[in-house]
Amino acid sequence: MSAVVVVTPLIIGGWPVITAAVSAAVASMGFVAVNATQDVQARVSTKNRTEIEVEDSDVFQEGLNQEIVVERDGVRATFSRDARGALKLCMEGEHLSKGELKKLGEELLGRVTQQFVYHKLVNELGERHMNVIEESVGEDRTIRIRVRGA
Amino acid sequence: MAQEELEIEIDATGKVTVTTKGIKGPACLDVVKALAQALGREDALELTPEYYEAHITGQASAKQHQGR
Repeated sequence: MSAVVVVTPLIIGGWPVITAAVSAAVASMGFVAVNATQDVQARVSTKNRTEIEVEDSDVFQEGLNQEIVVERDGVRATFSRDARGALKLCMEGEHLSKGELKKLGEELLGRVTQQFVYHKLVNELGERHMNVIEESVGEDRTIRIRVRGA
Repeated sequence: MAQEELEIEIDATGKVTVTTKGIKGPACLDVVKALAQALGREDALELTPEYYEAHITGQASAKQHQGR
């Protein structure tokens, strides 16, 4: 061993990159994308609702439609860019408490962050001509990668 | 010379841990710091015996040269 560094990830990128990370993450948790215009207003008022803002994020302004809506078992998760440019997640659900929605939302955001970091890392390694020689995912969802210089 | 490797872990919250293997001396810092900068904010850095091994060897060699 020579050095160990621990890094807190920053989500900085355009909406397409964020969308790719969100899509991969939500699919791994059984959520499916829905049309954002479907009776959202009618259902929102009857639901519990909580919002989580990702502090370490900066989503670039690119057009108007920067929103992804996914659902699972009556829980709706809406990812969007807030006015300050941060990534925001709104969790809504009739059968879960606000605390349960927040916990689920934090898990979702963790997966999104993990996917974002994974793809960024793979790109960085490629640019440095480093090869992935082993990759695995543990039961705790930790991704482990061994890399060797070219 | 040992094969240079990195072991990288991305936990379920996205936190990243990068460990160098077989990269002796300050060169290992260049690699991990560049990756850290690309991915986010460096939270902690630990230098392990292998880092100092090459550094000390280099200093000893320099002293020998100076003594001649």
